[in-house]
Amino acid sequence: MKTARTPSLQLEKIRQKLHGTRGRTFWAGLEEVADEPDFREWLTAEFPAAAEVPQNGRREFLRLMAASFALAGLAGCSERSRADLAAPFVEQPEYLVPGVPRYYATATMFGGYAQPAIATSYDGRPTKLDGNAQHPIGSSASDVFTQAAILGLYDPDRSNIPLRDGVPATWADFQQAIASFRDHWKSQGGKGVHVLMGHTTSATLIRQWTQFLAEFPQAALYLFEPASDARGGPMHLHHDLSQCDVLVGIEDDVLGPGPQQVSNASAWSSRRGEERPGAERMRMYMAESTPSLTGSVADRRIPVDASRLPDIAAALASAIGVTGPGTVQLSAKEQAWVVAAARDLQQHAGRSLLTIGGQLPLEIQELAPLVNQKLGNAGATVRYSEPFIFMPQHASTIATLVGAMKAGEVDTLIVIDSNPAYSAPGELAFADAMGRVNKRIHFGYHADETGRLANWHLPLAHMLESWSDGRAVDGTVTLVQPVIEPFYNVISVHQALDMLLGVVDPDAATAVRLTWKDRLGDPLGPRWLDALDAGFISGTAVEMDTPFPAANTGTIVTQSLNNQLDIVFRPDPSVWDGRFGNIGWLQELPKPLTKITWDNVVLVSPALAERVVLANGDNVEIAVGNRTVIGPVWIMPGQASNTVTLFLGYGRKNGGHIAGDIGYNAYAVRPASNAWHAVGTLRRAKGEHRLASTQLHHRMDGFDLVREVTAARPALAKPPAQPSFYPEWGGTDVAWAMVIDLDLCIGCNACVTACTAENNVAIVGREQVAMGREMQWIRVDRYYTGDVEDPQSYFQPVPCMHCEKAPCEMGCPVNATVHSDEGVNQQVYNRCIGTRTCSSYCPYKVRRFNWYDYTGGDDPSTIAAHNPDVTVRARGVMEKCTYCIQRIQGAHATADKENRAIKNGEVVTACQQACPTKAIVFGNLNNADSEVAKRRQSGRHYALLEELGTRPRTTYLAQWKDEGEES
Amino acid sequence: MSFASDAARPVLPPDQDLGDVTDQIARIPLHFPTRSRWLIALCLGFALFTLFLVSATVLFVRGVGVWGLNIPVNWAFAIHNYVWWLGIGHAGTLISALLLLMGRDWRNSLNRFAETMTLFAVVCAGLYPVLHLGRPWFLYWMFPYPSTMGVWPQFRSPLEWDIWAVLTYLTVSVIFWYIGLIPDLGAARDRARKRGWQVFFGVTSLGWRGSAIHWMRWRQCYRLIAALAVPLVVSVHSEVSLLFASSQIPGWHSTIFPPYFVLGAAFSGFAMVAIIAIAIRALFNLQNLVTDDHLDVLGKVLLATGFMTAYGYVFEIFDALYSSNVHDLQTLQDRFSGTYAWSYWGAVFFNFIVLQGLWWRSVRRTPWTFFTIATSVVIGMWLERYMILVTSLYRDFLVSSWGLYTASFWDWATYFGTIGVFLVPFLLIIRVFPVISIFETKEVLHEEHKEGSHAG
Repeated sequence: MKTARTPSLQLEKIRQKLHGTRGRTFWAGLEEVADEPDFREWLTAEFPAAAEVPQNGRREFLRLMAASFALAGLAGCSERSRADLAAPFVEQPEYLVPGVPRYYATATMFGGYAQPAIATSYDGRPTKLDGNAQHPIGSSASDVFTQAAILGLYDPDRSNIPLRDGVPATWADFQQAIASFRDHWKSQGGKGVHVLMGHTTSATLIRQWTQFLAEFPQAALYLFEPASDARGGPMHLHHDLSQCDVLVGIEDDVLGPGPQQVSNASAWSSRRGEERPGAERMRMYMAESTPSLTGSVADRRIPVDASRLPDIAAALASAIGVTGPGTVQLSAKEQAWVVAAARDLQQHAGRSLLTIGGQLPLEIQELAPLVNQKLGNAGATVRYSEPFIFMPQHASTIATLVGAMKAGEVDTLIVIDSNPAYSAPGELAFADAMGRVNKRIHFGYHADETGRLANWHLPLAHMLESWSDGRAVDGTVTLVQPVIEPFYNVISVHQALDMLLGVVDPDAATAVRLTWKDRLGDPLGPRWLDALDAGFISGTAVEMDTPFPAANTGTIVTQSLNNQLDIVFRPDPSVWDGRFGNIGWLQELPKPLTKITWDNVVLVSPALAERVVLANGDNVEIAVGNRTVIGPVWIMPGQASNTVTLFLGYGRKNGGHIAGDIGYNAYAVRPASNAWHAVGTLRRAKGEHRLASTQLHHRMDGFDLVREVTAARPALAKPPAQPSFYPEWGGTDVAWAMVIDLDLCIGCNACVTACTAENNVAIVGREQVAMGREMQWIRVDRYYTGDVEDPQSYFQPVPCMHCEKAPCEMGCPVNATVHSDEGVNQQVYNRCIGTRTCSSYCPYKVRRFNWYDYTGGDDPSTIAAHNPDVTVRARGVMEKCTYCIQRIQGAHATADKENRAIKNGEVVTACQQACPTKAIVFGNLNNADSEVAKRRQSGRHYALLEELGTRPRTTYLAQWKDEGEES
Repeated sequence: MSFASDAARPVLPPDQDLGDVTDQIARIPLHFPTRSRWLIALCLGFALFTLFLVSATVLFVRGVGVWGLNIPVNWAFAIHNYVWWLGIGHAGTLISALLLLMGRDWRNSLNRFAETMTLFAVVCAGLYPVLHLGRPWFLYWMFPYPSTMGVWPQFRSPLEWDIWAVLTYLTVSVIFWYIGLIPDLGAARDRARKRGWQVFFGVTSLGWRGSAIHWMRWRQCYRLIAALAVPLVVSVHSEVSLLFASSQIPGWHSTIFPPYFVLGAAFSGFAMVAIIAIAIRALFNLQNLVTDDHLDVLGKVLLATGFMTAYGYVFEIFDALYSSNVHDLQTLQDRFSGTYAWSYWGAVFFNFIVLQGLWWRSVRRTPWTFFTIATSVVIGMWLERYMILVTSLYRDFLVSSWGLYTASFWDWATYFGTIGVFLVPFLLIIRVFPVISIFETKEVLHEEHKEGSHAG
């Protein structure tokens, strides 16, 4: 005890000070006293851990009370183990009910954009992220990356301590070092200081950089975002798909993974699915070289080799009349597509949209605004704004940096949250060039490829542990507030910048508040608190009325392949540019179109596979110039015949124990001049690779698993009534059911990841998946029909069907799977003895078995990610979708306490919540107002395998099929 | 089919004395003749038995994941070998009980080891449902014990019926086998010279004195148990088939399954009886008691049950075609030409093609040819059980969940291990108990002698 006075005496003083304050002011009051010497003394004596709280951090204090104590059990991560700082609550903090989750608005960063999120936190331990419905772009939906960010927080491989030349050091050491660096830099006016970072929209970071530049005017900045297809040029495009009658895409995966996926998909879904009076269902055209999610749901898709896409774009532009008549030769099929697309675009002028992917050459991309301008779509379906990704004039590219490093001009290289040693194009040989730099400083989440090369590797805090800000895709300033005290010895990126600026013991919260002081006034005033509460600063969306500047129609150069192949690069749908490689949920997530896990593949067309004689998994060598890479091949229906697709993000050397040494590194052959397209060759290489795919057959083989309706026949035939020997369920007010609209499913996997996060679904690893033992409770089946070169594609999410006449229930000898009165097919884990009869009998094969003890060996830190409301399953028991029974029971408890019935829409399953297109709805069948009951009345409604008489509670709405020409 | 009713031809060569028969059979345990060959067989048995212990340990320690199972094929070797072993067991009861009730005397030379075989085949079968559980330590939850939680088993489940069927069958088989053994144990006791054997047989013969009242009681009891056992053969394997037939999985969901399984069980069982008969006959030089005529009639029975089993195959095809259900047709096609077509065509070849050799009398009466065909049938029936399990599960309704199954090392190890579990006690039993029913053989001989003297 450092104090002579008794703690209770001090506490009395504090109490007096707080007397008479309530609610928010109460906490503000606490904030005030927090800075009092008396209080701090008392705190030191009572809660040594809490005494470390920054002086004005009330949230940190609260969080620490809960979070750091809750996490006290985590294995020692930093110099000092947190375990010896743990202390139980002596008195229960007010308003903090153990086991009742709290929700905080925050955000994750993706490609520089803020992805607004609501974090669910149990006793100070965040366990789930979902979309922030209050946010101007937001809904409760989210994408796989946001869902999985929570596991990134608990990643045991995260860097947890500063490293000087690979040896653990302290932050004090670094601050000492930086002081001397700064003197040196100052003497040079910043010359020789080169800073590389990813894209950012953070005003705080920009402010700090500006400050840095002011101090070291000669310092150079480089921006590098390996998987960003942020369109070049001075404009930021804002698509409004909800206004679109006709969408024509050329290599633009607007619904695919990326920062805009959720907002685009959610707008798109308002124009698909149910027939609405007065609003046509959006018709979609897509020309693309490699299948994408957008292409998969397009009504008329045409595979075109990447080098020929400019021709298609030019022909379309010419057909619309924005350019002169083209000279390009198109095949009859391509011609027909262009004619149909052009006509549809024109017929729906003002309500149509042409999008051209950011992965095509800039002069091709510029055709889209021209066409949209001409058709009057600008301002309606597409709007333009000033770009708000930080791209100042003085910033240059990574190629310039490598040139400077090679020339020996770089004295200090500071890499912030980027991993160029891995993700820079291979021909730049970044790692070699980095060796010539005198002082190499790396701020990052992992001691990754770049971190290993650095003199100083400095661990950054996860977004959920940091204060920050950023702008969402509409420009709205979104605040990032920590939901947990960092449990490693890490700092936020703003603290990092402040350290470079010479601030001693910088504080991120202060930095962020300082940035918004002008706008929000008092850093702790009501406006700031309101913004924090909501997670964003309202009214900060960008002005979208910038007119598109007069176009320059550059000459379109058509490349000639000369018997070579188009090589296109794509970010991986699961691990993106590699940054999510160490997140098990994402590695085990079946990729939307191939259903491959734990690997990246080389996509080839069936025609090419036939020509080179390739089977799935055969190794092939891709050569671009004199650089080669070897990877396993996957024959992709719908791939353009001479296009080969390489996925980024794999082949890590120091990615962590999950990212490990899996897959091939596509960066090796990525050209520096063109990030997305190259010309090269492919040949069969030695050996083959066993790919772990969760779906071996993709052809629907004539079964009616996914059904279709057309405008001519908008309703399916009603199945005959099926009598049953068994009594009907019922007698309760509630009959839970789910209806999945297949016309809305884009196969994005958000539901799968959300379910994994919500239900503590185990990760089993590549070998187990290859054996057919993946554990995900909901899967998105992917089928295709028709010609393998140009197939029709389908997605079908399949959770448990919760059959009213469930074959599984009859099979279990010990009553471990039983039916609830409300129609939920329940699995009683602690009664299950593992006969697996239920799974044998299940016609939908939705049940998952714990073949081994998949959870017993979990890392202590990943255990912290578990949802405490859901049992973690042990070896030898069956599990499956429960309709998120914990949420149902939670709603029951709330309703019971309030002495009322469960309200319509009160229970939302995790998959439904995450779905950006609202394809999944869940609710009470007995309530005629519920969305489920309404959807069940649709003519498109059907049950999967209804002929079996299982009477599923999970049912489907048939997909619309666009048939032929518009009448 | 039987030749016992054929008065012109005796079952056993009549030129044997009754006492010689007793001596000949009772000598086997008392003065064991073929020590070295028996020891080699026992060593092999023990090696396999050890393999079983190792694989069961690995299984219990690590979990059923050590097998090649997955979703969709989450039942394979364990259930498949369970059905196979149980099927083999059925012939013992059929031969003993059914033929006893029908008064077919030729069974008297075969019933003892057939019953012994049944016993240990059922034990092997019974091990599998325990091994295959995810949490075998909770096996007792299958029983309706008075749980404090008030939870009962689920009586609609075929697995629940299964455990009762198998346990009932095992109990009745043990009782039937032991009752049939008592008079012979008495005979062996009377001939035993060493104190140890005298005590052993004295205790196990339960004070058998061979008095007329003993015989009367014994006969009543034996026939009563036989009458109980016969319907059990039918019910147990019918029940086993319901494990599959009560699901909706294409290839399983069929009303033909109960008779199909019972006949297949009898088929494989008779094949196993033939294998053991030929082996024991050669091992202990019992050609005078297990005669070529015995092999001949066994061959005919095997041929007949083979055709009955084949009927099941034909009907399955017809069923699928007649229903024209797409999923049934898919499964049919998968069996004919899918990944596991080898198991289907293997079953057809080993069960029915090779079997056709039995049309020839000389093939039936030549031990090695008959032995080959019987072995083929046992392999064929093994393949058939595999085919029924795997070809139905690996591609069921939803194309997306189709998956492949490959048996792992531990699948095979467990399976070969159970052969050890079968062999070791079987070999020990034939070491210590009379392998052929002495008194029943003598009964046949006695009848023959009487008939011979009447005729003469």
